[in-house]
Amino acid sequence: MDKNKIWIGEKDLTMAKDFVENSQKEFQSNPAIENAKLAEGAMQLGGDRRDFLKMLGFGLGAATMAAGCDIPVKRAIPYVVKPDSIIPGVATYYASTFIEGGIAEPILVKTREGRPIHVEGNSMITGHSGVSPRAQASVLSLYNTNRFRTPQLNGAEGFTNASWDKLDARMADALKGARNIRVITNSTASPFAKSAMNAFKNKYPNASIVSYDSVSAAGLLSANEMCFGSKIVPAYHFDKADVIVSFDADFLGAWLGGGYQADYAKGRKVADVNNPKMSRHIQVECHMSLTGSNSDNRILVKPSEQGAAIAALASEIVGGVSGPKLNAKATKAIKKVAAQLKAAGSKALVVSGSNNTYEQVLINAINNALGAYGNTISLSGAKTSFTGDERDIETLLNELPSNNIDVVIFNQCNPLYDSPNAAKLKAALSKVKTKVALSFSPNETSAICDVIAPVNHFLESWGDADLGGGAKSIVQPTISKLFDTRQSEESLMRWSGIAIDGDDYALGAMKKAWKNNIFPTQSNFVSFQGFWDSVLHDGGFKGTSKSYSFSAPSLAGISGKITKPSNAELEIKFFESAHMGNGSGSENPWLMEMPDPVTRTSWGNYLAVPVNFDGVRTMLGYNDLKDGDLVDLKVKDVTYRIPVVQQFGQMKGTVALALGYGRSNGGPVGTNVGADVNSVLTLEKGHIQYYNTNVSVSKKVGTEENFSCVQYHHTFGIKGQDTETGETINADEAALVSVTYGVVKQGYQGSLTDRSVVYNTSVGELKNSIARLKEKRAEAQHLNENTMYPFDEYTETKYSQGHHWGMHVDLNACTGCGACTIACMSENNVPVVGKREVSRHHEMTWLRIDRYFYGEVENPNTVYQPMMCQHCDNAPCENVCPVNATNHSSEGLNQMTYNRCVGTRYCANNCPYKVRRFNWLDYTTADIFPANQVGLGLDTEVPFYGDNLTRMVLNPDVTVRSRGVIEKCSFCVQKIQAGKLTAKVEGRRLQDTDVTSACASACPSGAITFGDMNNKKGDLSKKLHSDLNYIALEEVNVKSSVTYTMKVNNRDASLDA
Amino acid sequence: MIIHKTFKLSKLVLILLILPTLIFAEPTADVGKTVFKNYCASCHAKDMKSALTGPALYGAEARWADFAREDLYEWIRNSQALIAKGHPRATELWNEYKPTVMTAFPALTDEEIESVLLYVEGVGSGAIGGKPQVTAGAGGVVAEEKSNNYIYYILFGLLGLLAIVLARVINNLSKISAQRDGTVYEGKTLKQTLTSKGFVTFALFGLIVLGGYTTVNKAVDLGRQQGYAPEQPIKFSHETHAGINKIDCQYCHDGARRSKHAVIPAANTCMNCHTAIKVGSENGTAELTKIYASVGYDPNTNKYVEDYANKSEEEIEAMFKKWISDQYLVGNGIEKLDKEGEREVREQWDNIVASLTNDQKKTVGGPIEWTRIHNLPDHVYFNHAQHVSVGKIECQQCHGKVENMEVLEQHAPLSMGWCINCHRQTEVKFDGNEYYESYEKYHEELANGTRDGVTVQDIGGLECQKCHY
Repeated sequence: MDKNKIWIGEKDLTMAKDFVENSQKEFQSNPAIENAKLAEGAMQLGGDRRDFLKMLGFGLGAATMAAGCDIPVKRAIPYVVKPDSIIPGVATYYASTFIEGGIAEPILVKTREGRPIHVEGNSMITGHSGVSPRAQASVLSLYNTNRFRTPQLNGAEGFTNASWDKLDARMADALKGARNIRVITNSTASPFAKSAMNAFKNKYPNASIVSYDSVSAAGLLSANEMCFGSKIVPAYHFDKADVIVSFDADFLGAWLGGGYQADYAKGRKVADVNNPKMSRHIQVECHMSLTGSNSDNRILVKPSEQGAAIAALASEIVGGVSGPKLNAKATKAIKKVAAQLKAAGSKALVVSGSNNTYEQVLINAINNALGAYGNTISLSGAKTSFTGDERDIETLLNELPSNNIDVVIFNQCNPLYDSPNAAKLKAALSKVKTKVALSFSPNETSAICDVIAPVNHFLESWGDADLGGGAKSIVQPTISKLFDTRQSEESLMRWSGIAIDGDDYALGAMKKAWKNNIFPTQSNFVSFQGFWDSVLHDGGFKGTSKSYSFSAPSLAGISGKITKPSNAELEIKFFESAHMGNGSGSENPWLMEMPDPVTRTSWGNYLAVPVNFDGVRTMLGYNDLKDGDLVDLKVKDVTYRIPVVQQFGQMKGTVALALGYGRSNGGPVGTNVGADVNSVLTLEKGHIQYYNTNVSVSKKVGTEENFSCVQYHHTFGIKGQDTETGETINADEAALVSVTYGVVKQGYQGSLTDRSVVYNTSVGELKNSIARLKEKRAEAQHLNENTMYPFDEYTETKYSQGHHWGMHVDLNACTGCGACTIACMSENNVPVVGKREVSRHHEMTWLRIDRYFYGEVENPNTVYQPMMCQHCDNAPCENVCPVNATNHSSEGLNQMTYNRCVGTRYCANNCPYKVRRFNWLDYTTADIFPANQVGLGLDTEVPFYGDNLTRMVLNPDVTVRSRGVIEKCSFCVQKIQAGKLTAKVEGRRLQDTDVTSACASACPSGAITFGDMNNKKGDLSKKLHSDLNYIALEEVNVKSSVTYTMKVNNRDASLDA
Repeated sequence: MIIHKTFKLSKLVLILLILPTLIFAEPTADVGKTVFKNYCASCHAKDMKSALTGPALYGAEARWADFAREDLYEWIRNSQALIAKGHPRATELWNEYKPTVMTAFPALTDEEIESVLLYVEGVGSGAIGGKPQVTAGAGGVVAEEKSNNYIYYILFGLLGLLAIVLARVINNLSKISAQRDGTVYEGKTLKQTLTSKGFVTFALFGLIVLGGYTTVNKAVDLGRQQGYAPEQPIKFSHETHAGINKIDCQYCHDGARRSKHAVIPAANTCMNCHTAIKVGSENGTAELTKIYASVGYDPNTNKYVEDYANKSEEEIEAMFKKWISDQYLVGNGIEKLDKEGEREVREQWDNIVASLTNDQKKTVGGPIEWTRIHNLPDHVYFNHAQHVSVGKIECQQCHGKVENMEVLEQHAPLSMGWCINCHRQTEVKFDGNEYYESYEKYHEELANGTRDGVTVQDIGGLECQKCHY
């Protein structure tokens, strides 16, 4: 097989017939007809001539009537007293913090007329810009229609609404005589939340706090307690490391809440092509994680072999450790890795996602032996936000039957879903007199509670967060409370009988806490008010914290304490995806519809099975399974019927499945989507292990009806073999390429047979690759010069002055996290379409991240390519529109005018990048016709976006598109116009900071740069000069405005041997 | 609308009446009216017969007749000075009205004062204002804009007549020709003519053309509302505020310079002035009370009501009814409410309730729900700041002479053609705005004289995504 071959998936390699056929079609199905079949009588297309005349007559009559009618009176309602901070029509930004368990991410919240509509990153405290998908999507959770709106009490008539006074009275009653009280919580990054729980504990000495995390870092914390004397998470500096080894730690994904992406990307960008330097990243894992897909080399070990692999490395580096036996290939590779790590010395960094204390102790020992502490790992920037330990839940389980626990308070946690012992816990809780849920929305745990004290969304709350290293950030409300809710800290403090002066209890309590605890630790401000104002403005402050030091624990006998490899034929790995978490994203439609970056599946979890390629044409899947086949997965004694997805890079003898799905009480969005695997997680030495060896996968038992994997949707530039001639051609051009001129096989427009979508190379071959790239580009440009149309003249007159918008995407920095895709949906009112529609290729995303593989078929490397409208200056879509609905602006924007669009879809057919989306149905319910809603996959009474609460998230500057029009990336034209206006009003030239697209500002790793190509001093212009740059499909002469960089890896081929 | 028209008409008549005298800069009622509105109307009642903050002015000349004319001038220019001198009439008035001090107007000329007095006497006696009195022959013909349509009607009539005459001629000629041939000519009856193929075809054709024309025009106009001047919950007069008192548009519409919305001012913007100016002329007092009812301001005590949102309806009603009746008593100079007064108070209060409440809004407190006049479709993005702060366009260019509008109406059609047309013609203010320096070529061309100016169109002002996104 061609070494440089790039493929997108199994169907591409095998040239699957359906795939080749489909890739020639822009549109896969016609939902109008499908819907008509689906709903009897919903759409009667029949009728005769007389009906036609009747309709015509009625239509004319109705039009005449309408023309004569008055327009309904519209109201303009001003404020009574206008708040100073609000200028209607101008966005106001507030610094706050996205906080979820131990995760804390400083953010800026964009509000319009008092409602939050978009989340951006805040770099004031951490220095990192960008924002994660989950933080992005949190703004939609605020408008969750399923959230609790009032306090509720469970009685004889089930749940009934109550007032807070009544609820507090009930709580006082329950707490007064309670013999024992437990507060169950997840880790929290908020010192304020911790202090509220401590206050509660102080008031009720018979109370204790049970802290657990569903995706646990307890092993790591225990190990760190042994090594550093405290349960801390040190600060990892991936930018300072030359060699990064990760044992199953998905640090670009959800590991320890993420946030390492920015630093990691710094080490992956190629700054100087003549002297290329790049960190080497080796991932030791069994399933293709997001981090693994970004690595240079992957060493495949089964989940149960992780301990053995760590021990093998420790024995090489630390010495004196003998671990269990590891598979031969990995053993060999680990030896080489050890040599590289030693060579890198203090510029090496080893991390592990293991939840075994002693494996983590070994990791610490390795890092210490390498000299990583103080260099790539900082012990002065440590975080204390993670406290969860699942052994506390075990203790609780033992106590419940006998210890007279009368009150249990669930503080924003859901153990009856996400704890491995949920069933046992549920049974044991039946003895507890009063079960209290401090909960945002109904969930598995709140369903069995007696008292429901609904909590605010964090965007309605006061709070704070520990960012590590003493840095603190603040949570401030960006909107008044939408419903009769109360933040959990306030509830706990009120129940503890703490009185706070002032109208706003939570604000008062927060200020008090900061005045007493944090204000004295700084010296920049003399008055508290000054300090407080600066904190509210910046979103926090950079403090200092105490440093820890490493003290070597004894490694004697440690080999007996690490996981023994299993002999089982098949092992299953359970992983947490960055967008879904363990269920926290499952009520959010944006996150549900966001494809998993690696498997590219949405709306559910799909069993990843390994592939086996014969190297020519045939793919031997595990158990002959193909994408979308249903199987019976048996883990322990539970059988799941789930669809599979063939995953390149999945180790043979292993399968993988995501956590966080299969909620039984997850609201209209999350309920019964995918499979819940929490109950089959096992505990080892008290710690949850995210794999299982007691597993079997059946043969195909059916086909998933709505297989919503977007990997084969909107593909382009795919190479394959022509079925007739056997020659290599583009799959999507098969129909067009049929003429042979002389001896040279010619494609449509000359050279389409060798399309340039992705270029890749390695650090070692960079020089040659750049030469080759230059050659290719010269060839393409030569072809383009032969155009009949004098484009250069046009460029000269049109784009040489004013603005010319463009974008640069650094594929080496892009980790595929998907933050940009959510930012795009949020900024541009892109609709959610639901599972069925996704399975029909109807996802509406303006920006998608294409995933390509290259290298070894069974253990490949990955390229993530954000693909959006390229704003071609010679756009093929524009020429074919019969109504001129899409045309070009003098600033180089490919404009889409929805009101002109009549839906011929010619433009989408003619788009070489396949980035145009058609509103097949009324996804935004701009006009609700019942017939439109059939089979949308969101079986709620009011479809998503149909209710006024959800619509509050819409960006008022962007039109909500209705059925029957094409839409696509606009380069965030509303932001461009706003930025231009700012510069005009201030009477100065436009600067880089004035205009940025939503995707560029959301990107945590700085992969996307947006700007004015005419601004020679701007960031974009600087980046446009790299030798690594290329334009996708440059040879088709569409003059795209988006430039990509060649993907460079630092793969060490010797590790594969 | 009727009221509006007659108002305008009466003004026109007035101007025509006094036009000749104006030229000689002699005291005139018209100048007096302006002066009165500018300086006096905030304290003295417009009808000249009722007392507000200051006394009723009608008959002032008579009351000051015993003294020198100059005394009256001085009194009006600076009343406190005259009081200090111990002028008997001045002292008398001071004792009646103290501690309210009349504002000093030292800049008023004798002519202006005479004009005011003329106006006051005119209004008081009913000679000015009230019902329009058309005194024919005083100034000439009241010119009305005439449409040219009548030419077409005449033309149409003539052509029709011609057609009938010609038909008649043909008929007669046919008859003559038939007589010559010896055959009997049977002329078509009217019914035959009307049902003939030719006529029906012609009629149908005409109907379709007319129908199509109407339909297209109506369809294009659908949603447009040029000239729309709905009645507002508060009879707010732009003429009084922007015209007579010359308040800057952007004092209230403060969004225009910095936001996409010009912004309808919050009620607390009104209160900036109307905590001091509590009574007005004509509808003023009654309408101002609506603002107080909206924001929760007690005009009796000059204090904002605490916890207004939770006050009972009865309390609110009692508070404002007291204010209304007090004003009535002061206005009519009586001690106790008469029958007429009771009716007046009841009606005013009902009017306030009707104006400030609707199906969704049950209480008078809370925002004033104005009727929106300028509506752009949702898919149009328009930004005031761009036009006001950057383009430096006068508000009047799109909104008309608002300062002359007693009732605000939509001046422009707000159609896309109208926008586009302006973008074609308007030159960008290149000078003094560094932003536009990026248009280097245009600057070069302007410098070497090959270009006269850069229109909005030239920098892309006609492109779709300048307004639609």
